Amino acid sequence: MDWLIEPFEFAFQQRALLGGALAAVALSLVGTWVVIRGMSFLGDALVHGVIPGIALAILFDFNVLAGAAAAAIVMIVGINLVHRQTAFSEDTGIGLLFVGMLALGVIVISRTPSYSGSLTSILFGDALGVTAGDIVILGVLMAIAVVASALLYRPFLVLAFNAQKAKLLGLRPALAHWVLLGLITAVIVGSFQTVGTLLVFGLLIGPPATAALLVRRVPVMMAVAALIGVTSVMIGLVISFHLGTAGSATMALVPIVLFFLVLTARSMVGRRRAATT
Amino acid sequence: MKPAVVAKDLVIAYANAVALDRSTFMIPQGQVTAIIGPNGSGKSTLLNAIAGLVKPTAGSIEVPARAAGAHRIAYVMQTTKINDTLPVTVAEVVTMGRYARLGAYKWIRAEDRQAVRAAMERTGIVDLGSRHLAELSGGQRQRVFVAQGMAQDHDVLLLDEPLTGIDITTAQAIDDAIHAEIDRGCSVILTTHDLSEAQVADYVVLLSGRVVAAGAPEDVLTPKHLAEAYGPALLHVSEDRIFLDDAAHLPVDERHVHRERSIHTETSHSDVHPD
Repeated sequence: MDWLIEPFEFAFQQRALLGGALAAVALSLVGTWVVIRGMSFLGDALVHGVIPGIALAILFDFNVLAGAAAAAIVMIVGINLVHRQTAFSEDTGIGLLFVGMLALGVIVISRTPSYSGSLTSILFGDALGVTAGDIVILGVLMAIAVVASALLYRPFLVLAFNAQKAKLLGLRPALAHWVLLGLITAVIVGSFQTVGTLLVFGLLIGPPATAALLVRRVPVMMAVAALIGVTSVMIGLVISFHLGTAGSATMALVPIVLFFLVLTARSMVGRRRAATT
Repeated sequence: MKPAVVAKDLVIAYANAVALDRSTFMIPQGQVTAIIGPNGSGKSTLLNAIAGLVKPTAGSIEVPARAAGAHRIAYVMQTTKINDTLPVTVAEVVTMGRYARLGAYKWIRAEDRQAVRAAMERTGIVDLGSRHLAELSGGQRQRVFVAQGMAQDHDVLLLDEPLTGIDITTAQAIDDAIHAEIDRGCSVILTTHDLSEAQVADYVVLLSGRVVAAGAPEDVLTPKHLAEAYGPALLHVSEDRIFLDDAAHLPVDERHVHRERSIHTETSHSDVHPD
């Protein structure tokens, strides 16, 4: 058991575990709706779309969270504008904004004196550099995600079932959609410092997708996804400590590996059942 | 006869295309009304207008049940528009019907559970309660969606092509459920492309981009009106029957079911006699 406990004897590892766990719970809860509603591409684009805001914050020395939030709002407004002003599907707007914002972000970062260091820090985060302030922000975000998931469960559920049905039932699907987008954005923006913008996506999609293979009810899917997310953070930190790998990347890789393990096990069980019947 | 729907000079247009041109008609309360017409004739548009999903471009449409709250109109849409990969059980999907009254926050009470149970019993899906939507056949799913509509506290039940592409057992279960709704004083308005279904309704609205005729089936489903709605090429009148060659636009599997049901109907009792 020493190999499991040893990494967490250090204060920075404890903060990394706590910060990562809080981010994992928040990301798993909102990620459940992202997976269920087939919004993964939007989630991916949002994750990358915040980069120019962060880069500008670094370049002009203002709050990176404010920069990321502003960039996310520009991204969502831009996607909506393309969708409303043209006959293109939402995917086209997402693709255009995704590439545009990522490219803009890299261009802005290239103007900073420590170009490669800044880019690496934004993309891959600094799990071991989590501060007490980061933990407070992540704690607040997790609380918001938990409360919103409970209070808005019915509007989100029926919206995922059918938007017209949600409208007929008086559950205001347009408002529910915007609230969900806001929630996803807030959790992504709040988590990027811990796991990095690129790797936030791993914890946003990996645990809910794995949970979807195992359970058949949304609240249970959220609970299992949160458990998988927290476990992934812990396993990732243990592995990175012992093998000397990048903490954020290892944390993000674990849920993806878990997904394919569960998928393989499920396929094998299915084949065995089919063979016996 | 009290009305469930009253439309005056109703026009519904999307962008620059008129889906339903100037029409004045009424639909009676407490009866089964079939809305029939060729593809693109405005059947679903009219149902959406009754449900309040689309607003009239001109004229008016009044649904007295809506005065007691939007939730008094239950709408069962075509199954193709549903995200059936959502991880929810059949019981949860039927319970969604109660959200119209409960909203986002009110607790589910014993009366809500009773209404869900009753709807599932009437549609014969009690034993499917813990199953996942994706595990069900098309017919079973259709029964679940009808049960969801029935679980809602409603006075008007709207069904968009509830009998299209389903097996005879499911069609029978839904037909029984529709008549149970009428017995409790509810109005049922359904769309169909099948002449035999319209023939057995209490009231018929025939569409072709506008309301061609509305009234009792024997007054509406006449060769004259049907020729006006479908065109003479699709209408075949024999000595004592009328046939519509309208199944050609359906997908292959639905065409098969359509023919089976037509054959079934022909051997029973519901042919239309030309006037």
